[in-house]
Amino acid sequence: MTGRLIIHCIIRNISHNSTFTPKFLTNYKFASAFSLEVRNLSTKHKPKPLEKKHCNIGTIGHVDHGKTTLTAAITKVLSKDGNSKYVSYDEIDKAPEEKARGITINAAHVGYSTKNRHYAHTDCPGHADYIRNMISGASQMDAAILVVAANDGPMPQTREHLLLAKQVGIKYIIVYVNKVDLVGSDIIELVEIEMREMLSDFGYNGSTVPMVFGSALKALNEDESEIGAPSIRKLLDTIDKYVPPIIRDLESPFLMPIDNAFTVPGRGTVVVGTIKRGIMKKNDEAELMGFGFNTKTTLSDIQIFRSSVLEALAGDNVGVLLRGMKIRAVETGMLLCAAKSIKLSNHYKAKIYFLSRSEGGRKKPIFSKYSQQMFSGTWNIACRIDLEPTMDMMMPGDHGEVYLTLLEGMVMTEGQPFTIRENNVTVATGIVTETLSSIDVPNGKLGKVVFKHDL
Amino acid sequence: MKQKIKSFSMMIFQLVRNFHASHCYRAAESSLLAKLRKKTGYTIANCKKALEMHNNDTDKAEAWLNDQAQAMGWAKATKLAGRKALQGLVAVKFDKNHGVLVEVNCETDFVAKNDKFHKMLEDTTLACYKFAHTNLKSKGPITKLELDSEQLGNLSSDGGKKLSEVLALFIGSVGENAVLRRAECWKANSDDVKITAYTHPAPTTASDYSSGKYGALLAYKQPNDVEDIGKQICQHIVGCAPRKIGDKKKDKPAENSDDETCLIYQEYLLDPSYTIEEVLENNKIEILDYIRFSCGEVEEENMPGVEKQPLDTVQTLQ
Repeated sequence: MTGRLIIHCIIRNISHNSTFTPKFLTNYKFASAFSLEVRNLSTKHKPKPLEKKHCNIGTIGHVDHGKTTLTAAITKVLSKDGNSKYVSYDEIDKAPEEKARGITINAAHVGYSTKNRHYAHTDCPGHADYIRNMISGASQMDAAILVVAANDGPMPQTREHLLLAKQVGIKYIIVYVNKVDLVGSDIIELVEIEMREMLSDFGYNGSTVPMVFGSALKALNEDESEIGAPSIRKLLDTIDKYVPPIIRDLESPFLMPIDNAFTVPGRGTVVVGTIKRGIMKKNDEAELMGFGFNTKTTLSDIQIFRSSVLEALAGDNVGVLLRGMKIRAVETGMLLCAAKSIKLSNHYKAKIYFLSRSEGGRKKPIFSKYSQQMFSGTWNIACRIDLEPTMDMMMPGDHGEVYLTLLEGMVMTEGQPFTIRENNVTVATGIVTETLSSIDVPNGKLGKVVFKHDL
Repeated sequence: MKQKIKSFSMMIFQLVRNFHASHCYRAAESSLLAKLRKKTGYTIANCKKALEMHNNDTDKAEAWLNDQAQAMGWAKATKLAGRKALQGLVAVKFDKNHGVLVEVNCETDFVAKNDKFHKMLEDTTLACYKFAHTNLKSKGPITKLELDSEQLGNLSSDGGKKLSEVLALFIGSVGENAVLRRAECWKANSDDVKITAYTHPAPTTASDYSSGKYGALLAYKQPNDVEDIGKQICQHIVGCAPRKIGDKKKDKPAENSDDETCLIYQEYLLDPSYTIEEVLENNKIEILDYIRFSCGEVEEENMPGVEKQPLDTVQTLQ
């Protein structure tokens, strides 16, 4: 390799000297024989080294049972171990709206890391608030810590807390029984039995849900007895083990939303995007889908950082050369999918939140047949919203499930966010929850679509 | 003989002593605790105290707990009284000639979704409804009476307790501040005056009682040969929040129809090609009065400079 290096340097230096450049040295083919692109010498492109995994977690429970104290105690214990920054009770409690509403509304997200993972921690003070934040993407919970004080036990509204967790799709709940220093062991036992029963009522496996007992206040005061700081360490350990890491989906047929497209002279049309799921291999059969179009093509070449690879995984940002594809046929918003893996549809179910008047949204309520422009990512399309037959109307500030009917068939994935704009003002935000089979749009007039969901 | 009895009683005493201290009896005690807790729903600590005070007699313990609950409820209510209660629900109950509109608040919307809250709201609304039937004197086309928190508290519920007591019990059980905010009781005094009501979200099956985040009462006159659209007008009032009915002679329509605050000039919600004025004319309706509640609006108005957080995170995500 050293010999090559010397010759490469010589060629390079001579080429730059304009007075004396023998023709053969500037010949591309000759020079490339000695080219020293590191990437060409290295082995096949490996995925990035595993970054510390990430998890979104939150606290739910009664206002007075100690959620904020627990959060502060977690950051304190971890700051001692050197991994995180201590966030005091007041800092967590103090958010712009806090004083006006008298309970903790966490606009701030607290972050901390254990040995295994980094956590983004939020609080869940209200049902509607949480759904609204979730729909707009501001917060998300993969797992939840349910805080119950031992002296009170589960409250009547603990059922509503669990209902929210279930509705929102939280799979992993860990219970932290707080204030155990105030009661005896027989009461703690009873609290445990009741919680396990309640969890089972809501579809969680009551017998396997982990429970940790302690006093967040003692932990915050750096008490090292079993129920103080060690209980927090036990809680974190439990979370680390109980909540599995989120794995990138490599089994499904590949899917890639198109961010950008351009023409490479002499080669063809290249589309760029980040693979959402699956594995792309060179020469795979694919379909470019969106805006009512479905064009078959082949992946002639896949490049990562401008260098060709044989395959690319979910999470990679790639440029793909499509055989026989004209640039005019590509628009952002289209998706590149494995052949025959997915169908176009213009009909979806979605969770939507209408901005309230004070947030700059509409003043009047909306009814079914509401048609406006829907924006998602960098593209937009005409869209009609229909409410569930049981809903009369939706007021600004409301959230709920609606049906979307697009002007043309697209591919939208579960959890894809979008906004609705009226005259370029955002009036609603939502996420797609389910793809339904297409509906006929007569003559391109959304208003004339016959909506049949009364069953 | 005396010796025999003595030794026997010693043995029995030891046996019973063991029995009391042994595991199975303690298990019986804790299952008594579990049963009491399940039956009454009071906090575990209080249930335990009750059993201890009454030698594990569950009936006496229960009676004591019920008594205590009222006192503890009052104590808790006093303790939490300062906390802002902006969540909750608005409820309506009406028949042809009477209507009530009630607002009850609590701190979090988790509690507002809870069955106990719904029960208390229904009890309050029923009490007001009865009040509208029995206590309103007939004066003019409709008698209207507004009740504030204190007056609401003094009404009696079906069970005989005062509403303020029911409220205190509720506060004791959920540990959150709750307020019987306000109520409107209406009574129509002539046969041609009709009363209707609407809440949003509307219930799936039409009923004379419903609850939601917004509610409105409407008193109107409409001849019986025309289709009754009182409910739809009520829905419009909930949706478009007019400030007043409006007088054709005194009020002029606003420049921007979106900002219209007079009911008669607003575009009809269910058919924006007509104004309310036109709809009223076409359907021969005369509106006498209306009232609209939006949950939490009274408190929010009194809070200085509160700005809701704008969703600017939405823009950055896209």
